[in-house]
Amino acid sequence: MKRWIALLAVFVLVLAACTGDDDTAGDDGGATTTAGGGTETTAATETTAPGDGGESTTTVAQVADESLIETVTANGVLKCGTRDALPGFAVLDESGEHVGFDSDFCRVIAAAVLGDAEAVEHIDLETADRFTALQSGQIDVLVRNTTWTASRDGGEGATFMQPNFYDGQGMMVSADSGFASVSDMDGVIVCVAKGTTTEGNAAAEATRLGLNWEVRAFDDPNLIQEAFLAGQCDGWSSDVSQLVAVRSVYPDGPDALTILPEVFSKEPLAPAVRDGDTAWAQAVNWAILATIQAEEFGITSANVDDVLASSEDINILRFLGAEFETDSGTTVLDPGLGLPTDFAYQIVKQVGNYGEIFERHLAPLGLERGVNALWFDGGLLYAPPYR
Amino acid sequence: MTTVEAPQRPPFWRDVRVLSWAFQLVVFALVAFFIYWLVGNYQTNAERVGISTNFDFLDQPASFEIPGSEFSQTQPVRDAYVEGILNTIRISVVGIVLATVLGTLIGIGRLSRNWVVSRLATVYVEVVRNLPLLVIMVFTFLGLVLQVLPTIQEAWTPGGIMVFSNRGIAVPWYEGNSGTVLFLLFLVGAVGWWALARWRQGVAARTGAPSRAGLIGGGFFVAVMVIGWFALGFSVTTPVVEGRLSVGGIRLDPSYFAVLVALVVYTASHIAEIVRGSIQAVPKGQGEAASALALSGFQRMWFIVLPQAMRIAIPPLGNQYLNLIKNSSLGAGFAYFELTQVTQITVGNGSPAIPAFTLALAFYVVLSLITSAAVNIANRRFALVQR
Repeated sequence: MKRWIALLAVFVLVLAACTGDDDTAGDDGGATTTAGGGTETTAATETTAPGDGGESTTTVAQVADESLIETVTANGVLKCGTRDALPGFAVLDESGEHVGFDSDFCRVIAAAVLGDAEAVEHIDLETADRFTALQSGQIDVLVRNTTWTASRDGGEGATFMQPNFYDGQGMMVSADSGFASVSDMDGVIVCVAKGTTTEGNAAAEATRLGLNWEVRAFDDPNLIQEAFLAGQCDGWSSDVSQLVAVRSVYPDGPDALTILPEVFSKEPLAPAVRDGDTAWAQAVNWAILATIQAEEFGITSANVDDVLASSEDINILRFLGAEFETDSGTTVLDPGLGLPTDFAYQIVKQVGNYGEIFERHLAPLGLERGVNALWFDGGLLYAPPYR
Repeated sequence: MTTVEAPQRPPFWRDVRVLSWAFQLVVFALVAFFIYWLVGNYQTNAERVGISTNFDFLDQPASFEIPGSEFSQTQPVRDAYVEGILNTIRISVVGIVLATVLGTLIGIGRLSRNWVVSRLATVYVEVVRNLPLLVIMVFTFLGLVLQVLPTIQEAWTPGGIMVFSNRGIAVPWYEGNSGTVLFLLFLVGAVGWWALARWRQGVAARTGAPSRAGLIGGGFFVAVMVIGWFALGFSVTTPVVEGRLSVGGIRLDPSYFAVLVALVVYTASHIAEIVRGSIQAVPKGQGEAASALALSGFQRMWFIVLPQAMRIAIPPLGNQYLNLIKNSSLGAGFAYFELTQVTQITVGNGSPAIPAFTLALAFYVVLSLITSAAVNIANRRFALVQR
């Protein structure tokens, strides 16, 4: 009996500690009020006493009304939701570092907010878990080749940013299968990865073309590859960028696979933040837009210091956070995004512009710029003016 | 003069009955409050970021398809759940029957006086019981289904009535009328068989005439099935390879096959130990008495030992059945569309995660409770009535 009471007391103390309430919880009555305090905390009435720092920020209840831009700055590290096994977008290199297009956009955001591209904690997520991680506050931003759709915008509690890659779902087949077009594929098995809209798109496309496809949904791309190698699947459907990535490391060599020309869905891959935090959303959005703007200006990580030193273009000076002349003396543009005024300089200097990031990670896989070119090159990338 | 004082009740804070009640109430209140607090936190946080916490998503179109069923992408999510539950039941029922048969044979095998048989059974139990189920399932999928079975182009077609390939195992099946009608037909035949057999046994007991219960009852059953088959327009279809799929007959999903084999092999190793222990728990005298009555080895096992052993085995067998039902959720990793797979896919296509998984949890609980109740009823029926 004594032992039980001791256990109970420990439980009560833990509960009290968790809710961060000031009540001393010595007796059962204390426990009840403590728990009551906990529920109120959820409604965000009495959050974040200055003293209870580190531990309490981990509870969901306490991120309530403070913008993440302050939390991230205070923590000095950006928690970026990503993945670890998609070549080109996010993979681990030999030393365990995340390398890839999406990983670099995590660094872009960290460079903008914290001034340090390496102040990122990459958190690997399963496809099916990514929105839960975002909703629960496990991550600050989701950069994990995630398609921006209406029901995700509305239903998943996510706010999507400027897409960093315009993708589309395609179909990959064996080079010796004889399929030249998606419409040749009647009475076939199509394998997809689970946890995304892929199987829905495939079903819709089969219906539209009047074809009979059996769509098999696997947890793991490695299992799809095994099934594909063994001839269980005729087609492998996914976003073209992913198919290209998979093809580049296919055991039989990239030439054993053909990606059919059709693209049957729009997949704008966009970073996402949690709903209801406008300040944070704007900051992240402008960090992404800055990479595009830098490419429009022709500023690269190599020439950014020269440009800063020699440029007379007021638009560029504003963009890089340099001083420029006005009627009332010199000034620096602070558009009030909550970002340091030199955030664009830090992004370009430490990570690079959009074109550099693309060339570094996606071009080696054989991906063309295509619709991901700048608007004056016939692509979709267009940054609103920075002024 | 001494007076005998009536024993006084101790004050309430030292009264054992009061204390024990108070303690239980406090524990109950704490647990209830903790749960209330968690649910409240979830609801507040979900509301804050705009995630729905209700079950309206069940009426939305599912937008994915389920191989091996008529389910189409325009049907509501509700129907997808029904398909998922049916698939879970399909694999569980077949798995339970096969695992019981295999496990019983191996359990008897371990007690065999044949050295080879008993060693083989021991090795089977000791190896399989010590492997994680997931590993067995990876093995049955990658090894058995993908590598042992041929590709569809080289499919085995024994006798021209079956098609074996790594896209499934197709066998002859009925067509022409619904499965419900066939089941009703079967039911009529079976009930008739039972009624006729009872009647004949009664006659035999009264008059001493030969009962011929099997002949008359079985004859009735066969007659009902044959006449009904033709009268109701049933016919047989045999599968043939057409292009890259087999058509006609019924095709067992390759994932179903892989998951079923893994579940049966794994659960049988546990059931074998239960059966062995139960047989050894039957008093030795029972077997010796059977031998003294000149019963054969089979008769001794089948009529004397096994019925008594099964009485002991039922409760632990029930546990294994529950495990098998729950373990079938691992099939979600291997593209088998059972309840967990359906839940994961519907979450991937925009259903809210927590309500969707709550629903899946509830179904597993209900399925397990039903199984548990069935086992308890069987146990009560077979348990030794003792006074």
